[in-house]
Amino acid sequence: MKRSVPLAIVMVGGILMIIQYFIPHQYSQAVFDTYTEWGPIVAVFALVLGIGSLIRVHSHKIRRRAKNWQYSYAVLIPLFAMPIFGLILPTAVAGGTDSPSVFDFLFMNVQVPIQATMFSLLAFYIASAAFRAFRAKSALATVLLIAAVIVMLGQVPIGELLGSWFPKIGQWILRYPNAAAKRAIALGVGFGILATQLKIIFGVERNWLGGAGE
Amino acid sequence: MLNTDRRWLFLIIGVVCIIPFLIRIGMPVFPTQEVESIYDYMDQLGPDNAIFIAFDFDPGTSAENMPMAVAVMRHAFARDVPVFMTAVTPLGQGMIMAGVDYVTDPSQDYFYQRVEWDEWASIREQGTTDKAGIVEAWEAQGHQLSDNALGWVFEGRDYAILGYQPLFYLVILGMGNSIATQYPNDANGNPVTEMPMLREHKNLREIDLAVTSSGSAACTYWITYGREKVGLPVAFAVTAVMATDYFIYIQSGQVIGQMGGLRGAAEYEVMLEQTGEYPTTDKAFQGMDVQSVAHVAIFLFVLVGNIAFFAGGFHKKGSRLKGGR
Repeated sequence: MKRSVPLAIVMVGGILMIIQYFIPHQYSQAVFDTYTEWGPIVAVFALVLGIGSLIRVHSHKIRRRAKNWQYSYAVLIPLFAMPIFGLILPTAVAGGTDSPSVFDFLFMNVQVPIQATMFSLLAFYIASAAFRAFRAKSALATVLLIAAVIVMLGQVPIGELLGSWFPKIGQWILRYPNAAAKRAIALGVGFGILATQLKIIFGVERNWLGGAGE
Repeated sequence: MLNTDRRWLFLIIGVVCIIPFLIRIGMPVFPTQEVESIYDYMDQLGPDNAIFIAFDFDPGTSAENMPMAVAVMRHAFARDVPVFMTAVTPLGQGMIMAGVDYVTDPSQDYFYQRVEWDEWASIREQGTTDKAGIVEAWEAQGHQLSDNALGWVFEGRDYAILGYQPLFYLVILGMGNSIATQYPNDANGNPVTEMPMLREHKNLREIDLAVTSSGSAACTYWITYGREKVGLPVAFAVTAVMATDYFIYIQSGQVIGQMGGLRGAAEYEVMLEQTGEYPTTDKAFQGMDVQSVAHVAIFLFVLVGNIAFFAGGFHKKGSRLKGGR
């Protein structure tokens, strides 16, 4: 039961939705409308599970004083603070979720700069890698480096000033050799996704069951 | 030289990124074919059309994606094209609010003056739904456009912040038949069915363009479930790193064009300024000076690193750098 019921649900639901996609009839559309109403509700249950798991893991770390347990507070405090400020405290006190409010202030002045900063660190690591790791050790590596430099300089205005051929060759590389290689990869990935999804629907692939799949 | 502490490299990059912000150079930016395609398509739209701008990005990529979304929003407002705004993640909804606040911020040199849904309720009750009539009635009530305002934008007539819904690929599929069933209320709690722009454009088949400003593969949802299912024209506005992956969709005609990274946003801003749709360029154009200098710095790092590598004989078999590299 623990295995067969989920497999049956996936098989019936998957086949039903495949058939529904290709039938432009009102009854088919009614099935789809019902599914789209249920889908977000089921997704929200997954959110509840995820949050519960996060709280359990981090509170366990704090209780046991595991390594770097102090950072668990950095996870749990905002996790509770944001819904308290945005949803639980009255709008007259905290302003709700719209600007101006404590929630909006914390989002725009704490979360946005933090996430932008984390992404910006990449620029420094790329600079370090450019000096320490990008080596023309072979013919192919040399071709790769030359193409990278042409595309890189062709993308910025200074490349146009250094030579009008920089952006032209850079664009040609992106539109033709790059597109050809990406198309081959995309096709392969697409067929792989199709095969995996069919295996899941028909019960051949059961890793998603977790422990119940054994 | 190859054992240079990488903190010196970090310092050099930091300095070359900060200086162009202080000393503006203003190097020219020339539009590419991929961005021009989007611009030309938007330029033929008007008040009878409508577009979607999907803020499918998080704050991490907002430095690249926000200028692109803002530029398209300004173009739409300049041509009185109604704009529906959606987000694939909850953080994207915050980005929508930030983008609309930026375009309608009175402290900017130029801005669009925002009128929220409740503020023009009396005009709706009179049955006025066309833009010209709404503006006339609004100004007849004594409201005046500020000196640096480029025009009025009315919530529900010029823009609607639909926001985030979970499982967004299902939402796109559902919007193919009806936008209102997926979004009965917008992100501010306003009834979407009462909005004039939704009464005129009920589903994705009646939408003329979806521009997805994306920092993830979520942009492909619009092709799979919008373009292929209901024939919705789609344009990409993606980060520079992702832009190389999506040239295949341009070649196959599945997207009408693509803006790639800050450069794409700068090209769009330049075209807006050149055609007079917006008086000035903005942050993306200013950022191209920084990108130019930073790219040259990285090129020099690659060059110097390779010269040091070969001059030191490390390319020969048996030789090793300190630390075994």
